[in-house]
Amino acid sequence: MGSGRGSGRSSGWGSGLVLSGVSLGVYLFLYAPILVLAALSFNASRLSASWGGFTLDWYVRAAANPAILAALRNSLIVGTAATLVATAVATAAALAFHRHRFRRQGLLEGLLTLPTVAPEIVLAASMLLVFAALGLQLGFLTVILAHAGFTVSYAYVVVRARIAGFDRSLEEAALDLGASPLQVFFKVSLPAILPGVLAAGLLVFALSIDDYVVTSFVAGVGATTLPLQIYSMVKSGVSPEINAVSTVLLLSTALLLLAAFLLEQGRSARLAALPAAIGLAVLGAPFVLVGVPAPAARTLNLYIWSNYIAPETLARFEARHGVRVNVDLYDSNEALLAKLQAGNAGYDVVCPSDYSVQVLSAQGLLRPLDHRALPHFANIEARFLDQAYDPGNRHSVPYVWGTAGIAYDRRRVLAPVDSWEALWDPRYAGRILMLDDAREAIGAALKRRGISLNATDVRQLEAARDDLLRQKPLVRAYNSTNFEDVLLSGDVWLAQGWSGQFAKAMEQSPDLAYVVPKEGATLFIDNLAIPIDARSPALAHAFIDFTLEADVAAEICRTMRYSSPNRAALVLLPPEIRGNPAIFPPPDVLQRLELIRDLGEATVLYDRLWTEVKASR
Amino acid sequence: MKRERRIAALLLAPSLLLLLVLFYLPQALLFVVSLGRRSAYGGVVRDLSLDNYLRALEPLYLGILGRSLALAAATTVLCLVVGFPVAWWLARRVPARLRGALLALVVLPFWTSFLVRMYAWVVLLRSEGIVNLALGAFGLPRAELLYNDAAVLIGQVYGELPFMIVPLYVSLEKLDGALVEAAADCGASPARAFASVVVPLALPGIAAGCLLVFIPSLGAYLAPDMLGGGRTAYVGSLIQSQFAVARDMPFGAALSFVLSLGVILLLLVFRRPLRAAQAL
Repeated sequence: MGSGRGSGRSSGWGSGLVLSGVSLGVYLFLYAPILVLAALSFNASRLSASWGGFTLDWYVRAAANPAILAALRNSLIVGTAATLVATAVATAAALAFHRHRFRRQGLLEGLLTLPTVAPEIVLAASMLLVFAALGLQLGFLTVILAHAGFTVSYAYVVVRARIAGFDRSLEEAALDLGASPLQVFFKVSLPAILPGVLAAGLLVFALSIDDYVVTSFVAGVGATTLPLQIYSMVKSGVSPEINAVSTVLLLSTALLLLAAFLLEQGRSARLAALPAAIGLAVLGAPFVLVGVPAPAARTLNLYIWSNYIAPETLARFEARHGVRVNVDLYDSNEALLAKLQAGNAGYDVVCPSDYSVQVLSAQGLLRPLDHRALPHFANIEARFLDQAYDPGNRHSVPYVWGTAGIAYDRRRVLAPVDSWEALWDPRYAGRILMLDDAREAIGAALKRRGISLNATDVRQLEAARDDLLRQKPLVRAYNSTNFEDVLLSGDVWLAQGWSGQFAKAMEQSPDLAYVVPKEGATLFIDNLAIPIDARSPALAHAFIDFTLEADVAAEICRTMRYSSPNRAALVLLPPEIRGNPAIFPPPDVLQRLELIRDLGEATVLYDRLWTEVKASR
Repeated sequence: MKRERRIAALLLAPSLLLLLVLFYLPQALLFVVSLGRRSAYGGVVRDLSLDNYLRALEPLYLGILGRSLALAAATTVLCLVVGFPVAWWLARRVPARLRGALLALVVLPFWTSFLVRMYAWVVLLRSEGIVNLALGAFGLPRAELLYNDAAVLIGQVYGELPFMIVPLYVSLEKLDGALVEAAADCGASPARAFASVVVPLALPGIAAGCLLVFIPSLGAYLAPDMLGGGRTAYVGSLIQSQFAVARDMPFGAALSFVLSLGVILLLLVFRRPLRAAQAL
């Protein structure tokens, strides 16, 4: 191992001070965002744009949030298992090449490193293909396998770099002296390559615990990890609870490292015991607080957008029916489609938006509803029923609805906004935000020209693209996740976006206004539906009917700030929600709304035109 | 010798088996998909056509690919320039007993969500952000730091730096200081000693680091979207949107094979110097 011998004299290039200075700067660079996210975990305001005073509230809330705790627990299980598998397997492979020169050595090594060249999304989609072909039930096992699979090449590259210079004669000498191969491995080889193995383990764990893309494809019932939880929150706002969890995770890991460090220094074990105990206690807390995943006797598996239902609401259902509700989250309709198309997902109730109901039912992936089991269906307002995406509501029941319009800062935008034209107004150059979404952005451009946002005529669509290209120099950012935050922080003055997120932002800042432009805009309806392969269809019907009860629907609306289609719930809502025009727009606005339809082949055209807009400079 | 060969084969088998099931078989299936067509509802219609590959080679998509290569190359070079001094400092300057802990501190931030850390960068860089508040406090003019190429590069370097520092450290830590010393004793200037002794010996680590940074950078989508404001299309988001938005899996698959093929070609070009280095 490196002895550091002679480093004192060979210091001409990179004299100590400069080196230490650069290194210090890099550590600062690495930790600056960490300090920010830790600071935000103590911010009484939900929004990063303003400091609302010091609070420990988010820690208390996170500790009481079973979904976040379960996600943390799942991440720790998956990360540990994947790290053990990938590092062990990769170390074995590196040792194999070190001990023996295979005939086709280059080819074999290439086979081990090749997986690093494939983008993560491609690994994810292709693994889902194989799991589906093998008929594997998606869940913990598939997530661990997938994580081990996509990290093993990284681990191999790191271990191999260490082994490259390891002197084989040491092993041979030990063998000559009568050591057994196992003794040689543990006494000679492993200590020599240990730094490489540990470094590989650190990287694999870091890759696994932060992985979103692969996990989102291969996770199934009960295997929602922390990144899935976080990404699914993006649409409804990432809560500072996540910052609190991240800070705790970092601190407890740092404590464990400190303990290991103290032991390594030969300090007394008593000294190391304290940080180790605290670190382990904190990391173990989620296991104690929410238990180890075990299939309950009767479980309803719900696959839904984040923040679409309050824990209290679920608890009421659980108590009434004596069942457990397991919630997994997704962040796009397309993720839901992919999961249900692959089959074997194991969900009882899902929450597809309008056009995805059409796509799913056309492929026979939804179970026809038994309306006799839905006595509260009559609570739904008639104008949300019998839509083109699901005639007669044979497969779906409206759950919430909303619009995509413009929110703006009244202090900066002087004239009241009533038209999409405002997003093309050169006075606001560099202060405009558009949704990073092909259908919504092109839809806005089409509406501005008075054309349906479901147009499929090539010339109309190309004209819309040209409008968007002309608009691009005025646009500060394309963002379909935390657009309301960008507006609140003052980086933009006008933003296209979805109503529910803006409604929440308006509660933070009285200067924001939301309009549905006079030319018309998108209406979306999210629905509850039952997948064809649901395990407990009867329970699923009971759950859907439960959400249709007036007080339950009102509770749901209070939780998420999107509009409720439930007529009976309306009277139970507080005036500040019922009176918010972003949540419940006046009747004349409803006339101007249009549902996004699945356009089949034309989807590709929309994607291409949007790519052209995004790619232009 | 035969026994040794068997042991080596046994050691190699688990990794190859794992990759066979979780990489090669899936990729083979995906290749079949890439020859097909998108069905009206976003499924896959089997076919044997190269249309998707021809489409992937259109100027629109090649331009996006080229820009992604440039971003990945810039990220790699910056990571190497910034990461090398840190790895050297860690491996050669820091007392041995502190090294493990300090290396772990490099990786530690990565145990939190990249998305959450990107949000933190937004808070740092935006118009009313922390950096600008600090600039203002010192009486300096404010700057628009967010939603441009520089911000994307900051995010990328931030996201990939440990993947450069760790392998560099691993190979520098075992480098024999006596060799550097000998070069100095023989009258080599520091620059010369660095170029002709240190770099060749550290090459396996440099190569590993560049590989681990360059390739994932090609698939970057979070930093371009969150810090770049989604104003530029990169191939990572493009492939992502084929699988996740347009539900055009055949075209997404073809795009990714074109990308992978490009990377493999690049690796083959650099294979010879790497081999030479590893043989040292």
